[in-house]
Amino acid sequence: MAKRTKPLKAPDKLVFLLSFVPYLLEQRVVDVAEAAQHFGMTEEEIRDAVRLIATSGLPGATGTYQPNDLFDIDWDSFEDDDVIVIVHHVAIDDAPRLSAREAAALIAGLQYLSASPENASSASLASLMAKLTAGASAAPSRLAVAETEADSSLAVIRSAVTGGRQLEFDYRNALGQAGRRRVDPLRILSQDADWYLQAYCHTREDVRNFRVDRMSGLAVTEVPIDDHSDREVPDTLFQVSDSDLDVVVDVAPETIPLLADYLADSTSVEVDGRMRVTLRLAHVHGLKRLVAGLPGLVTVVAPAEARAVVAEWATAGLAGYGDEAPPLGDENGAETPDR
Amino acid sequence: MIARVAGGGGKGDSRIPVEDRLFSLVLALLATETGLLKAEILSTVRGYAERFDTSGQNANLERQFERDKDDIRELGIPLETVESPDRPGDNQALRYRIPKGQYDLPDEVRFTPDELALLGLAAEVWREASLSADSQRALTKLRSLGIEPRDPVIGYAPRLRVRDAAFEPLRQALDRRQTVRFRYFKPGEPEARLRTVNPLAVILHESRWHLHAFDLDANGPRTFLLSRIIKAVTPVAGSTFEAPPAGIQDRVIAELNELRLRNSADLAVTAGSDAEVRLGKRAVEGDEDAGVIRLHYTDAAVLADELAAYGPEVRVLSPESLREAVRERLRAVAAAHRDGVEEAS
Repeated sequence: MAKRTKPLKAPDKLVFLLSFVPYLLEQRVVDVAEAAQHFGMTEEEIRDAVRLIATSGLPGATGTYQPNDLFDIDWDSFEDDDVIVIVHHVAIDDAPRLSAREAAALIAGLQYLSASPENASSASLASLMAKLTAGASAAPSRLAVAETEADSSLAVIRSAVTGGRQLEFDYRNALGQAGRRRVDPLRILSQDADWYLQAYCHTREDVRNFRVDRMSGLAVTEVPIDDHSDREVPDTLFQVSDSDLDVVVDVAPETIPLLADYLADSTSVEVDGRMRVTLRLAHVHGLKRLVAGLPGLVTVVAPAEARAVVAEWATAGLAGYGDEAPPLGDENGAETPDR
Repeated sequence: MIARVAGGGGKGDSRIPVEDRLFSLVLALLATETGLLKAEILSTVRGYAERFDTSGQNANLERQFERDKDDIRELGIPLETVESPDRPGDNQALRYRIPKGQYDLPDEVRFTPDELALLGLAAEVWREASLSADSQRALTKLRSLGIEPRDPVIGYAPRLRVRDAAFEPLRQALDRRQTVRFRYFKPGEPEARLRTVNPLAVILHESRWHLHAFDLDANGPRTFLLSRIIKAVTPVAGSTFEAPPAGIQDRVIAELNELRLRNSADLAVTAGSDAEVRLGKRAVEGDEDAGVIRLHYTDAAVLADELAAYGPEVRVLSPESLREAVRERLRAVAAAHRDGVEEAS
């Protein structure tokens, strides 16, 4: 069930109350524990909600909230057995509709999922989206995720994950080193358009993240994976390790969100309209690709070796076009066709 | 019964939790057919009544009610305002209600355990706070149906982030059909230009968020990249517009796809490089022996940024404009990182 770490805000609590009542009416008799499990709340939160509902109702004709205008529960069952039974209800008995925003968020999430092999047929997705639209109190906002072509490797990896089978593939890492890997696949993760496999690598004897688009020659073996339940599989794709490299860079303020994965800490100083921040990366090979991919937006300040690696990378790129060393002070944006 | 703290201690003493007040308000407005006057609500509904001043000093309480109404509507609850037929335009004669028929989830909207599992996964997609909160609220509402979802999909965690600051204000403008203004930088133009638009759809295409809007200055539809919106998106007070036709987002996606198919680039990729593996997967045509691939793209500037990241691993053969764009980028990066140069010039 849903896990929650932050306390709910008042509107979320209201939504819960409005959803909890019809659930209780539909179930007629429910254990506190079962309700807590169903809604992903703590048992104490459920009990608090029951007490609130049981004393809520309508002001009534006299405006004084008379007993007949209030919800009522079987207090003996509740207090002695931790069981909830609504014996009198007012005003609501059905689930509330979704808001336009809520429906739109789920529909766009489904559209993103449709790019993945997990998915049910597009027909069943379409019917699910139609139901969400019908269940919204207004036309869902026009938020959409265009379908992308799924990497065909994903389906293979997926079958290895669900089947608990070892997987073999050729892999070329960011340093350009290639080799055959044998892994125990644990989890498929994606970040935006990029897909990753978290796996225990038998070659490296450690849990690693592999980019799906850097894999080729995949083969699902007959060998079952080892038990990794004692192993901590990180929730995020980017972890910091001691061997990492700290690099000081100047970035345009609006570019900072694009570097969020690499920020070593939250400190930044303004230098000539740019922000000076420290990035933490696994190695300079990742850095040169990152900086060259944000041309003009990120400049490495230190260390000198990191600056040199980036300069060499760009210069080598230019050499492919027969370009000499770049002229100084060239900062004009590129010519691009109109959209 | 559990004793409830009543507002006996005089105004301001009672501390009714916000959700309790909102819940009581929703119940009261659902139970009324004809609607309740504001004065009736403030003087009787729990959470207001305790603070109601019979001598008429209720400005704070009225503001509270206005905010609560907005909060309730944001949740998709159809809170209506009904004008008095006898006294049109009189604010004090307005009645408030929530029509039950428009509040209840329609009977045909029911979900199977498999569908709920899929919806749970769809909700987990969002890392961005407001989309995630909206998705979770939707799931809470659907839990009221009492159906247990099929076991959550394990070993599978697709995630989508939204990193454009313009996204949230635009999504709000979309919902409220609110005209907005922002400065937009278009490649090839010397500086960002102020645009005034009616936002019609927000679309993720080729990993970039796009805004499709009616540009009021250009008097025509335009599509913008969110990443090129500079600084704040501000609402134009009092300016709203009609809802766009249903399915407009599908039409825009079709247009973007068409645009993408019209643009193709020929690239030389180094054998055995990261570029060969990753760009190769997107190739529509390729000659492996020659190390040449062809791929489609929507936006030349976006592709040029991406290709620059590959440094010497890729070389643009055509079109010339893309070739030049990548060279410009590499030159800028090289210049900014040359030894002894402290800052990009």
